[in-house]
Amino acid sequence: METAFAISRGIMTMMAFPTAKILIGQGLKTELDSRTGMVTTPQIISSKTRKDIVAETPGVKALSDRIEATLETVSVTKPGPIKKRIEVERAEFSRRGTPLLPQRGKRRYHPFPSFKEEKMKKLAFLVLLIMILNPSLMADSFSLSLYQNMTDNLFQNSLVESDQLSSLSFYVDKNLSRFSVFSEGTYSYLYNNPNLTYYLQDVGLDYLHPLNEKSAVYFSLGGRGAFYRSDFSDYNYLAVNFFTAFKSYTSPTSIINVNYSLEYKNYKSSLFDSLSQALLVSFDKYFQTRTTFKGEISWGYKFFLHPFLSQQTPPMTDYPASYKGRGKGRFTGGGYSPFITKPDGDGQGIQVFSLSGLIAQGLGNKIGLNLTGMRQWTLSGENPFTYIQEFYSVENPSYDRFSWFGTQWGSQLTILMPWNIQFKLGYTRTQKEFPGIESLNLEGESSGITREDRRKQVDLRAEKNFPRFSLYLSYYYIMNHSNDPFFEWTGHFFSVGIEWNFLSGGRK
Amino acid sequence: MRRRGQLYLVFILIFSGLVLGQKTPHFYNVDKEIRVEGPIQEINMEPRYVDTSPFLIIKLKDTKTQQMYNIELSPVWFFEQNFYKGEVLVVVGSLYVSGDNNLNIIAREVRFRGETLILRDKHGFPNWRGGKMKRQGRKKGKEF
Repeated sequence: METAFAISRGIMTMMAFPTAKILIGQGLKTELDSRTGMVTTPQIISSKTRKDIVAETPGVKALSDRIEATLETVSVTKPGPIKKRIEVERAEFSRRGTPLLPQRGKRRYHPFPSFKEEKMKKLAFLVLLIMILNPSLMADSFSLSLYQNMTDNLFQNSLVESDQLSSLSFYVDKNLSRFSVFSEGTYSYLYNNPNLTYYLQDVGLDYLHPLNEKSAVYFSLGGRGAFYRSDFSDYNYLAVNFFTAFKSYTSPTSIINVNYSLEYKNYKSSLFDSLSQALLVSFDKYFQTRTTFKGEISWGYKFFLHPFLSQQTPPMTDYPASYKGRGKGRFTGGGYSPFITKPDGDGQGIQVFSLSGLIAQGLGNKIGLNLTGMRQWTLSGENPFTYIQEFYSVENPSYDRFSWFGTQWGSQLTILMPWNIQFKLGYTRTQKEFPGIESLNLEGESSGITREDRRKQVDLRAEKNFPRFSLYLSYYYIMNHSNDPFFEWTGHFFSVGIEWNFLSGGRK
Repeated sequence: MRRRGQLYLVFILIFSGLVLGQKTPHFYNVDKEIRVEGPIQEINMEPRYVDTSPFLIIKLKDTKTQQMYNIELSPVWFFEQNFYKGEVLVVVGSLYVSGDNNLNIIAREVRFRGETLILRDKHGFPNWRGGKMKRQGRKKGKEF
């Protein structure tokens, strides 16, 4: 009886097949003369008596006429005449002395390298299987989008670095009675910093339930996975989130809205693990002068589950390429990390509260103008990291709505232009302080004051919808002034995108 | 070979979306599309179709004809947008007359305050999405 072997992530499955093949995880496919015995240790082949681990044989060497495999620790589980499962702790394959698998540190980057990543492969195939094999999940809508983003300041700091980011996304959903299931995947590739390339996968379901003619509640339960390339794999996370909203017309011209969200994030680097929740209540009123007033109260709490190391050890031990030689004095302490945590402190939980308001004025049907203002306070706690960074279009675990307190003012003009082009012009000013984050000089020494950023932002956005696709264009110019000179920066951010809506579900 | 495999994967994904998305169309009649403009008279959530959430129904009075229309928007738009009595909308959609002689419009496009909401494409297929409230801000590129 000839045998076949499939090896993937150190697990070898041996099955009885008429032809012999060896399949190696990276996609290599090579014939193997199994009659010479892929695994020559008799214990492994003949062990059929125990159901669990029956043999551990370090240094097993398997030979064939074409491939040599060195298996360091081999365990056979579930042996049987039809199928055997062999777990290999480490395997090296070579042909005539030449290694067959890529060597660590010598990987080349391709436009879509992350498809090689095992987790991404599994996710992609899982999505495909769900879509193809289950007829009950025929999509009601399916869309693809492609965005090309360009910036001259990817890391949004004084060490200006330009880059381009290409994002390819798919989105499918299906309505099942009053439920809707959806899935969205986004692959983002950075040309100059491929180490930051990542894949995001969202799945979830939502439900809308009307309470009466004027009120309804909405529930959404979702999951998200973020998978970065190796150097930034500490950013990888799996998240579960729950979102609910209640909306009601208290009169024909006034609305009350209550939203609550809860999210648990589990990062590869447990320092970032968090549980966060937010509650938002808003009330708005429309007047016959086409003026809308809106007031909003928001409360949020983010709890870092274990942000403090038992000893001050940098969570990452190597410098990603994009940080080498940067931030003079900024990365002292033995390794890259803007997230060197404090040995202890008040940073385990951050509680914020905010008030915001909006005045919107319609000028005919084609022009809208709105002014917004917001003030946020930190009620308790502080950031547990030594400093905070934002990356353009890349989620950074140190920065989010919980990281700061301060004010934000904004205005936006919306115009419906000829050819039905929607155009938006916005201007925003923010002043943010980051509790627990000290302003440092360029040598990395503390100035003894809390970091404070003042930002001005101008943005232009345009959107044009065609029968089957939509085009998006946006440009942002940002000036960020900070009492930490490392974060004194300006940046131009340009984005162009297209979204295709493929055949969608019924016209009901 | 690996690149070819990846390409196959992408094509399968696209193809499956095209195939799986197809369903027998009904209700929306492209030949009966009309355009109306006028102030909102009333906003309700009303049951319209079996096995779906009640639709957002906006009663709108056309300023030209003074006719009253029931504008049908999918349930998600109840949470997506705030509409108010008295606000003027421009609506493009498919007209049908229900048994009680009411004029109904299945909305394809709604314009107001300088914005256009595309609810369906020009063939009447809906553009709304599940999980939409969670997707705001991600769809159209980076938001600061």
